[in-house]
Amino acid sequence: MLLAAIALAAMPDWVPARWFSKDPATLKLVESTAINCLLLETSQWSKAFSDAAAERGIVTLRLEGDAAVDASGKPVITFTNRSAMQFDAPIAASAQGVWPGVRVEAPKAHAAASGAPWIDTNTGFLRYARVSSKGAIWIANRAPADQPIPLARYLAAIGDAAMTGARWVLDFDRDFARRLTARDPAALKDWAQILQSVRFYEDHKEWRGYTARSTLALVEGPASGALLSGGILDMIATKHTPVRPVPTGHLEAPSLLRATMTVNADPISLDDRRKEILKAYTRAGGTLFTGPPGWKFPSLRPDQIALDAADLETLDEIWKELNALTGRKNLGARLFNVSSMLSNLLESPDGKQVILQLVNYSDFPIENITAHVLGHFRKATLLQPGATPKPLELYKVDDDATGVDVPAVGPLATIVLEP
Amino acid sequence: MTRRELLAMAGSAAVLRAAPAPAPPVAIARASYDDDLVATLGTMFDQLGGASRIVRNKTVTVKLNLTGSPALRFQGKALGLTHYSHPKTVMAMAHVLDRAGARRIRFVESAWGTAGPLEEYLLDSGWNVRGLIAVSPKIEFENTNALGKAKRYSRLKVPGGGHIFPAFDLNHSYEDTDVFVSMAKLKNHETCGITLAMKNCFGITPASIYGDDSGIDGPNESPTKGRGEVCHFGKRQPSKTAPAENDPASNRHPGYRMPRIVADLAATRPLDISFIDGIETVIGGEGPWIQGLALAKPGVLILGTNGVTTDTVGAAVMGYDPRAPRGVKPFETCDNTLLLAEALGVGSADLSRIDVRGVPIAQVRYAFR
Repeated sequence: MLLAAIALAAMPDWVPARWFSKDPATLKLVESTAINCLLLETSQWSKAFSDAAAERGIVTLRLEGDAAVDASGKPVITFTNRSAMQFDAPIAASAQGVWPGVRVEAPKAHAAASGAPWIDTNTGFLRYARVSSKGAIWIANRAPADQPIPLARYLAAIGDAAMTGARWVLDFDRDFARRLTARDPAALKDWAQILQSVRFYEDHKEWRGYTARSTLALVEGPASGALLSGGILDMIATKHTPVRPVPTGHLEAPSLLRATMTVNADPISLDDRRKEILKAYTRAGGTLFTGPPGWKFPSLRPDQIALDAADLETLDEIWKELNALTGRKNLGARLFNVSSMLSNLLESPDGKQVILQLVNYSDFPIENITAHVLGHFRKATLLQPGATPKPLELYKVDDDATGVDVPAVGPLATIVLEP
Repeated sequence: MTRRELLAMAGSAAVLRAAPAPAPPVAIARASYDDDLVATLGTMFDQLGGASRIVRNKTVTVKLNLTGSPALRFQGKALGLTHYSHPKTVMAMAHVLDRAGARRIRFVESAWGTAGPLEEYLLDSGWNVRGLIAVSPKIEFENTNALGKAKRYSRLKVPGGGHIFPAFDLNHSYEDTDVFVSMAKLKNHETCGITLAMKNCFGITPASIYGDDSGIDGPNESPTKGRGEVCHFGKRQPSKTAPAENDPASNRHPGYRMPRIVADLAATRPLDISFIDGIETVIGGEGPWIQGLALAKPGVLILGTNGVTTDTVGAAVMGYDPRAPRGVKPFETCDNTLLLAEALGVGSADLSRIDVRGVPIAQVRYAFR
């Protein structure tokens, strides 16, 4: 009983991986690493494995249907559809996710310059989940099993979740799992980088308590696509415009403090009291964007996590206007040369530290990134997994912002700014 | 001669056609991006009579080649190593122009899909803009994809009436300048076979007027698209405020239209300095959106004072016959822009008339596709 209570208390610190082997010898791969919770299919689970893991301080859970159960068979975590996520649970988990990465589209046959690629990401949904929950957030989307996944894709999947304060339940393609089990040197080298990246975020647990730093608020709920990948928040984030998600049900006057602009994506879900909050906000000088008259978010199925083509057209109706409203404004930070990256600007509860999370979804390092961060800062440090912290030079951009140039970043990076 | 006089003269096709097309010399140098490119470029200018002779006390407008969104990279390479102007060559050009006494150095480009500040587009391209600005207080930037910093567009008439359009409405930068420079890349082009100094200047047409989302009645000052429908395919006319096509029933094939539009632009806004960066580039097309692209390191720079002669040498360096007719590589499906521009009197495409200085063509020839 006591042990169960201790385990429950430790749940927010569980760092999960879906494990691919019932061989206790494979535990050496996670021994003394940040990973401390292994999820096994029922067919892979054994008491011997579980005991061997426990000796190493590693929790094992057995996957049964959509639940992860403990040794006694008691469900500990439920992996629901996004729409059914239990935000009041110690760990709110969903198995519904996209595989993060730059969407590959075939080149055109004829000469015509074209625009930026789209990045598949779970961050929009996870950022909403983060502000809706006090517990830990897990996303357990599966790695494509039948194709060898490059290391960069794994690191992007880790960062995609971690930069929002969530955790990706590590999962591996069959080839990588096989090579890891066989202690293939190349696989072990990649594994070391994966562990380093997981450790990077676990060494900065405090970041999970940081909140979005932006003067742009997005009032949204499940009915307005908050649980989608590729919804309004992702569209704004792809432009590297910082945005603060405000769940419709959490909207209170303080939610909009410091927001000079608010997008109400969910007008039909607002009750009279919350409509009044938005009216007061505009009377106080805030800019409220609600889309064209009569516009409403496309209807969504409970299991839907991405918009279809017709839905995108509906979204496009407000996107152009919203883009024009937010484009080129510094609503927290402006980033340059980051087209294959996503970012998240966060601040500590006391406001004394601002961090800019960067995840690179391409297979290549990115050079010469520039950020213009709203506010005045005197110190900036670049943190990357496995690298020595690197001081960065700061410069004044205009009266309101500080500029920082980053010579090069790999798959994952965080810029820490201090006044 | 003032710039307006120059443009007026360019407007007289009869004058241009009366004399043989000019054939000023062209300089070639071997180079790498690790070299002292200021010294290399300075030497090349000296081989042509010196930069001061051309730019002293002049407003110099430098058209960069930043085609396609900076988000599109080929094999993850820096844009300057594939299909964009390389920032090191631009930095070198800034130094040379500054030392040569240019009064103002204005870098311009019609940035893809935006009318925002060019400086921000350069940052998005991974450039050190602060470093470039630090070269000289005379440096400024303008995105010519729309009206920009002026109150009106400049209408420049095509000498002889134009193959496709009788005149172009352009950002003021292309009129308000004494010296016009094209900084191009040594590349193939899907539609035109090659894209060098002259083809780079197709990008002087603002998407606000010639873009796929340009306004019907007037310019769209927030363009977000390319120019395929109006220029390449002729599916629609430019905004009504600009001159429409001479003959909307003419051939719609891009291989017919684009070489003519480029040649007309070369006659309308002649180049005073043409620079081609062939240090590192791509073969097989102008950008990553083209299938079958390959990396290449020809290790060469080409500089001239005439768009046609410089591009003629460029075509020869690429291993092509600059006078090749339609149907012959690299003009398999298009007309030869060099010959069209030569016919307009802009410059000679006859290699035998062009004095090549520095490294001989034979020593730097690099087989493109």
